[in-house]
Amino acid sequence: MLKLIARRLLQMVLIMAVVSLILFVVFDSDKFKKQIATAELGGFSVAAMSDHDYQKWLKDKGLDVPVYERYAQWVGGLLQGDFGKSFEKNAPVSKVMGERLLNTGILAFWVFALMIPLSLIFGIVAGMKEGSFQDRSVSFIAVFTTSIPEIATAILLTVFIGLGLGWLPAKSAMTGGWNSVELILPVLTLVLYDFGYVARMTRASMAEVMTSQYIRTAVLKGIPYARVIMRHALRNALIAPFTVIVLQLNWLLSGVVVVEVFFQFNGFGKMLLEAALFGDVYVIQAATLVAVFVAVLSQIISDVGYTFLNPRIRFS
Amino acid sequence: MSFLKPRKDDHPKVHEAYEVMQDGRMDRREFVRVAALVGVSAGAAYAMAGIPSPAWALENSPFPADDPKAKKGGKLRVGMQVQKMEDSATYNWVEMSNQSRHVVEYLSMTGPDNITRPMLAESWTPSKDLKTWTFKLRKGVMWHNGEELVADHVVWNIKRWLTPGLGTSNVGLATFGSMRKDSGKKDAKGKPIMVGIENAVEALDKHTVRFNLSKPVLSVPEDCYHYPAAILHPSFKKPLSDNLIGTGPYEMVELEVGKKCVLRRITKMKNGKPFTYWGGAVYLDEIQYFNFSSENQLAALASNSVDAINEFSIEQMALATSLPIDIHPARTARTLCLRMQISKKPFDNHKLRQALVTAADNAKIKNLVYPKGGDVGQNHHVAPVHPEYFPLPPLKRDVAKAKKLLAEAGYPNGIELTIDVGNTDGPWHQTVCEALRDQVKEAGINLKINVMPASKYWEVWDKTPFGATAWTHRALGTMVMGLGYRTGVPWNETHFASKEFDDALSDAEATFDVEERRKKMEKVQKLLQDAAVMVLPLFRPVYNASAKKVNGYLMHPTGFHQFNKVWVA
Amino acid sequence: MTDTTMPAPRLSPMQRLKRPKALIVLSVLMVIPLVAYVMFGEALARAGLREIVLIPAVPATLILYALAMSSWRESWVAILGGTLVFFWVFVAVSVPFLPLLDPNKPIQPFAPPGTERGDITFWLGTDLKGRDMLSRMLWGCQRVLVWGVTATAVAYVVGCIFGLIAGYISGIWDEIISFISNVLLSFPVMVLFILILNYLGPSGFNIVIAVTFASAPAIMRIVRGLALDNKTRDYVFAAQTRGEHPFRIMVWELLPNVRGPIIVDACLRLGYTTVAITTLTFLGLGLQPPDPDWGLMIKEASNLMVWQFSYMLLIPALAVSSLILGFNLMADGLREMSLRD
Repeated sequence: MLKLIARRLLQMVLIMAVVSLILFVVFDSDKFKKQIATAELGGFSVAAMSDHDYQKWLKDKGLDVPVYERYAQWVGGLLQGDFGKSFEKNAPVSKVMGERLLNTGILAFWVFALMIPLSLIFGIVAGMKEGSFQDRSVSFIAVFTTSIPEIATAILLTVFIGLGLGWLPAKSAMTGGWNSVELILPVLTLVLYDFGYVARMTRASMAEVMTSQYIRTAVLKGIPYARVIMRHALRNALIAPFTVIVLQLNWLLSGVVVVEVFFQFNGFGKMLLEAALFGDVYVIQAATLVAVFVAVLSQIISDVGYTFLNPRIRFS
Repeated sequence: MSFLKPRKDDHPKVHEAYEVMQDGRMDRREFVRVAALVGVSAGAAYAMAGIPSPAWALENSPFPADDPKAKKGGKLRVGMQVQKMEDSATYNWVEMSNQSRHVVEYLSMTGPDNITRPMLAESWTPSKDLKTWTFKLRKGVMWHNGEELVADHVVWNIKRWLTPGLGTSNVGLATFGSMRKDSGKKDAKGKPIMVGIENAVEALDKHTVRFNLSKPVLSVPEDCYHYPAAILHPSFKKPLSDNLIGTGPYEMVELEVGKKCVLRRITKMKNGKPFTYWGGAVYLDEIQYFNFSSENQLAALASNSVDAINEFSIEQMALATSLPIDIHPARTARTLCLRMQISKKPFDNHKLRQALVTAADNAKIKNLVYPKGGDVGQNHHVAPVHPEYFPLPPLKRDVAKAKKLLAEAGYPNGIELTIDVGNTDGPWHQTVCEALRDQVKEAGINLKINVMPASKYWEVWDKTPFGATAWTHRALGTMVMGLGYRTGVPWNETHFASKEFDDALSDAEATFDVEERRKKMEKVQKLLQDAAVMVLPLFRPVYNASAKKVNGYLMHPTGFHQFNKVWVA
Repeated sequence: MTDTTMPAPRLSPMQRLKRPKALIVLSVLMVIPLVAYVMFGEALARAGLREIVLIPAVPATLILYALAMSSWRESWVAILGGTLVFFWVFVAVSVPFLPLLDPNKPIQPFAPPGTERGDITFWLGTDLKGRDMLSRMLWGCQRVLVWGVTATAVAYVVGCIFGLIAGYISGIWDEIISFISNVLLSFPVMVLFILILNYLGPSGFNIVIAVTFASAPAIMRIVRGLALDNKTRDYVFAAQTRGEHPFRIMVWELLPNVRGPIIVDACLRLGYTTVAITTLTFLGLGLQPPDPDWGLMIKEASNLMVWQFSYMLLIPALAVSSLILGFNLMADGLREMSLRD
């Protein structure tokens, strides 16, 4: 088991090294340096720049150094916890990203806090009696909500709750300082999109457990139905949903981009998009590494957790 | 109304302009502008012109008069893009300067009425030949660190701008440009390296600065309010945002690029003594800028996330008018040039270009995009708001003639052209191109529209054979003609090159009398129009907006924020 | 191959059309003209063929729809999903022949739904530029369908090739392919999209590339698993003993036998790709104006946050949701049916 974890972690480090190197080489092209210059100085200024001025600008930004040297410097800094400096925001990447990650973390916390109980309850209720009315309705609701893309969910919620009823603010830019009310619509959007998927997984797992021999035996032995469910079925039925829920972390990092941009919420996803459009190399690097780290880590946790929870499976 | 006459010791240009005005050859407002430029106080200039000075204007202050109803205190939340502040001299977005405009100040200040008044300077006096300008600084202007502003500080700033390789756009202006000379050295690409002329700027005493220019320049005070020309304390180190010592009524307490920028009214200097602002009362306790991209600002105002916004575009006008807000327009010379690069095929063909512009109906495009406000363009980039604008006869669309020209150009069966559009000012760029496409189709020109993201457009704007480039407002027609169409200048995106045009433009630039200059502009404008290098269909108005509770919020044609007398009810 | 040896005189026309060959021909007739119309519209217009090219696609779509409905009778989920999907496909192939206003022509800005102006009625109103919303909504399905189908198809081709290689040939190739796909799979999808499209620039063709990078590794994993599983089956051994080339075995023997799960996965993936294209276009990294597209319509209207203009957002949002719901229900129904068989 430990060996497995160590192998996966090693693989993760290898992947991160490959990815960061590729990104460095890609962003080292003249085209991208020009893109940064244009984004920072504006098209008119870049056109008026002499070659001398442009070289000086590159030097100021530290972009005149050969790519391998910059990569070595960057890796060196990284080991000391220094992610470099953002061109656009003119601040250390760790500071910019730390704050954005915290915002997205709060968003993610509420998404999970709502999504987990909601999807588990729906999934269990549906899976208890396969083919029943409650099963069919839950399945339909799940397919329906999952089929509406986040952008459309965001629009529907904003239009009806935000603009029509006027109950909640339509944007979440938090201009008056942190305001939890502005968090409601983004959280709802993400929960509505995601809970159906987890609910269906839970339902499938629950339905499978309910047909198993020992549950049937327990019911036949006359143990009260509620007790069978609570004591025996749930424990086994929740193994599969656990892994799925952990993997939703990975999905969330994708899903937050459009939600954060739509609601103007200053989180990790919006930062990533802004950095990509600006060509803000060090922010893109750091954000990609964090994304890969979270994604791989969630995969490891879900694998390890699955093995741990399910005594029937052991990795060889 | 008693007309004031120029005094004997006023600059000869004032007397000259006064006579021209008396003869009815100069607009009275234009006289005020010119008189103020050569050192007459704005109040006196208004009196000489015989028109009432604006209700808000004050003698000896660039700011509006105090509002007796004003409520002191409070915060103003403004939606604008919050950008980084590395060095004010290399600012390239007006937004950056707005973030620091209430902290670091300028020698002069141009008001919303387009009149330039002294700011950190108390007055200025040009020599008769307009080559030597003497600035008297205000006494008792204090830096936030407790020092007094002196002439040496101003000299330090200007000398810094002249350093080769700094990359400030200040040296592109006539004033600071004529403080430089060719060093004789060349850079890697063979372009000459320019250095500052010795003694181009000097401190005569503690409060007097003199500019010694290599050629006559009229627009010196206007150039001093160019947004990267803020006067910094000589202790300046990059980045400016970490080290912002100003003379203004506010200090910057927080800057988070892409998020917010907070300015707070300063009460105490660094040495603990109370700070008294030279410019009189300011009302707001805090000015808070929140980052909203230009498309999102109006929505932010509508949802009460902010109290006022930097700008909104014409597409959002229907939304704006449906909201309970105040809309502030300003007539400007901002425009969109659907310009062809005449060094590239097929646009090297003059007849083809003529066919295109003849098939276009500028007035119709303007009315489609800006049904109210705005001015029709005539394909020559001098706008009716420019003082020296010469009204050429209106352009007429003529499809038959366009077809004939196209055949003569060698395309009797029509031609397919592609225009690059980046929508850098908003989606209306695309609307303009689509309208042009529909118009020129009748003449046999099949126009394809290649839409690209704004950032990509700025990478190709000076290279694409056919593109739609947005140009910002500039105070004078000669300025924009010199920047964009003189042979070989960096921003000459059309590659238009004409000795005749250059000479005619230089002649106009050196002419002080506006009526004379306007006559000379006829030739300049006509030459560019006849070259058919672009379709310039309109000059657009700009709009910003504020919530009803905000008072004194105005739109400046250049988009500069001047919030000294703004207050929130 | 077997048609000549097997006498099949008593098949009804419907049943004949249900044979794989006929289905493939019909699908090609439905998809290719549409793809050509959207991707090479300029060239077709020059040749004067722009509208003509779509004519065979209209009956092909209707026949396919009838076939699908008759064979999916047992699953109302599949029927509902198929109806939604075929509705949009039918709109896509027939929209040039419908009596609609020009979707790119500004007429009267901000007209609310139901506005009448002379003899024109804007049933769904007009957008901020005054273009007819009904027309834009209907035209808008073309690009997202074409690019979605193309991107998914290319991702499948690439994923299948590498999956078959990794699964059937295995060895060092399997190691290399699996590592590369692990690298790609360790990215959150949207991060990968943003990085790739930012590098390549936004356009339909680049979306195809980005979707391929994002989807092919997962497809490769599925195909690899299926190939590993099927490799030891008798029919593969039989082919091997006949001395057939491994490539031939992979494409002609393995692939048809693993098609069931792949078709279900493809339906789901079409849904994801549609979401991805709409989302990326909304973020400004996808399709570019001026032609109508749902993502663009959302992007253009997303700053008009007022109740009275909200129809401009709701219409494209509902349109894209209905198409994706269609794909998902169809996948669900097909899976249900395949489990029953």
